[in-house]
Amino acid sequence: MDLRVGRQLLQISNPDKVLYPRDNFTKSNVIEYYTAVAETILPYLRDRPLTLKRYPDGVEKPFFYEKHCPDHRPGFVQTVNVLSERNEGGISYCVVRDAATLIWVANLASLELHVLLFRSTKPDRPTMMVFDLDPGAPANVLDCARVALDFRDLLKHFALESFVKTSGSKGLHIVVPLNTAVTFDQTKPLAHAMALLMEKADPKSVTTNMKRELRGGKVFIDWSQNDQHKTTVCAYSLRGTARPSVSTPITWAELSKALRANNADGFVFSPSDVVKRIQKKGDLLEPLLQLKQKLPRGAMV
Amino acid sequence: MAGARAIWSGSISFGLVNIPVKMHTAVREDRINFHMLHDQDKVRLQRKMVCPEDGKDVHPEHTVKGYEIAKGQYVIVQQAELQGCAPEKTRSIEITDFVELSQIDPIYFDRAYYLTPAEHAAKPYRLLLEAMKRSGRVGIARIVMHDKEYLAALRTLGDGNGGDVLCLSTMHFGNEIVPLDQLGDLPTATVGEKELKAADQLIQSLLTDFDPAKYHDEYKGCVMSLIEKKANGEQIVIEQATHPRTAGKAPDLMAALQASLAKAKAASGVKSNGHARNGHSVTAGANGQGHPHGRRKKSA
Repeated sequence: MDLRVGRQLLQISNPDKVLYPRDNFTKSNVIEYYTAVAETILPYLRDRPLTLKRYPDGVEKPFFYEKHCPDHRPGFVQTVNVLSERNEGGISYCVVRDAATLIWVANLASLELHVLLFRSTKPDRPTMMVFDLDPGAPANVLDCARVALDFRDLLKHFALESFVKTSGSKGLHIVVPLNTAVTFDQTKPLAHAMALLMEKADPKSVTTNMKRELRGGKVFIDWSQNDQHKTTVCAYSLRGTARPSVSTPITWAELSKALRANNADGFVFSPSDVVKRIQKKGDLLEPLLQLKQKLPRGAMV
Repeated sequence: MAGARAIWSGSISFGLVNIPVKMHTAVREDRINFHMLHDQDKVRLQRKMVCPEDGKDVHPEHTVKGYEIAKGQYVIVQQAELQGCAPEKTRSIEITDFVELSQIDPIYFDRAYYLTPAEHAAKPYRLLLEAMKRSGRVGIARIVMHDKEYLAALRTLGDGNGGDVLCLSTMHFGNEIVPLDQLGDLPTATVGEKELKAADQLIQSLLTDFDPAKYHDEYKGCVMSLIEKKANGEQIVIEQATHPRTAGKAPDLMAALQASLAKAKAASGVKSNGHARNGHSVTAGANGQGHPHGRRKKSA
């Protein structure tokens, strides 16, 4: 099947392949979703090295991460070389700058799009801080939401506005726009300190310990993603969950409302939900792209 | 081996039966690994591709594969073209024949792996294992791993404690074995019966059972004890860190943040109960602001 996207003619392989068997959601459906949200997701992908998370045989079969942009890429796909201590000569990542590249990536069954926290022009400068709030059973997304509200208030104390999106899986992501001259050497210890502060304030509900056995019933705040080498799932990316779901930006008001209603389903968004939300509400995460925020004084160690 | 991470998964196909299995490394090479450092500043060195024409570095993206057909003449082959030849990704270990182990000269064996049953495959796995034990034969299989096709021998292996496992050894193809005639003419000589008897006696005197625990890499032992001595007090070279270490900073930073938080709270007179289960606000007036949609805010 050939698909014209902009000026490019793309060959879509196996459009009818079912990638989410439970919902009979095919590769065509995936491509339709990414086409519908292209304009909204592109600003979050543009200029950022992309790691593919490919599910060639669907979400019930093994996946693999691919950092190196595949050699068989068409000519219009842009790449950027990121130097790495572990790989001689660095890694050539794909960079999604246009809808055609996005659809080409989707055609590789890369359901999940993971991006690095910096723009390729300035690899030592994160444009944001991210915190992954991951519930350890029996804690659930509602516990994450409670912790997220506290975390928002803590950040506010340090004059940092924060935004929230669903992880698309079990938890929530808090993102703090920076867009200022900061380095990972500053954000990583600060993120760690913020997470420790959260843990100290509420050790019954919050842990910063990665060990699974210590996470039971608590919300694990993963601060360690604030690293030059770590990727985070992009807003509006699909997830490789049993049913197709999307990492979806939500407002703090929506979060509070779902929390009050004790409604865990209020944190689950399907691809069609997300397309409708964008039509109705626009891009709730837009400030992440522009909002300039400085790190608190005293954090500049 | 229990709990060892699988490095590959696929299935053994054997007639009409399919047995999902996980593959584990059976041999971990125990070698000393040295890194190359610059003798001046002890920085770890990297390898680079350099163009001998102009001496400049060549980015991996600007490299192509060339097959030398005659001195200095290359056929360029693109990755995409190679993919046309790549074996079908069957992920299967397809047993085609069963042979006697003694018929396979050890020269053919390459790397060894253990195969364990994947989830829900315990029964067919056991069945194949027991049947192979009974037949005393070795399965010859074709296997596709990481875009490459291998010939492999599948046999049963006892762990000495009553447990058995399937062991897969990748094998060289026949054309990879260098024929003896390529060694040139081997010198011949005749030996007398007496000499042969004497040699045989010597062999008899060294007869024993094979016990791998008896043999050690003495060179490695010597080098490692040298390294240990050097590490314990003598010279260890520490690479110059290019980035200041960030680890360990966080706790101090947290204390500083906490102090500033306490100060702010004292100033505003707000009680610190914000992290109670149902409490949402740490500061007054922090709630309900929603999104500053599209608004740019410069923080102080």
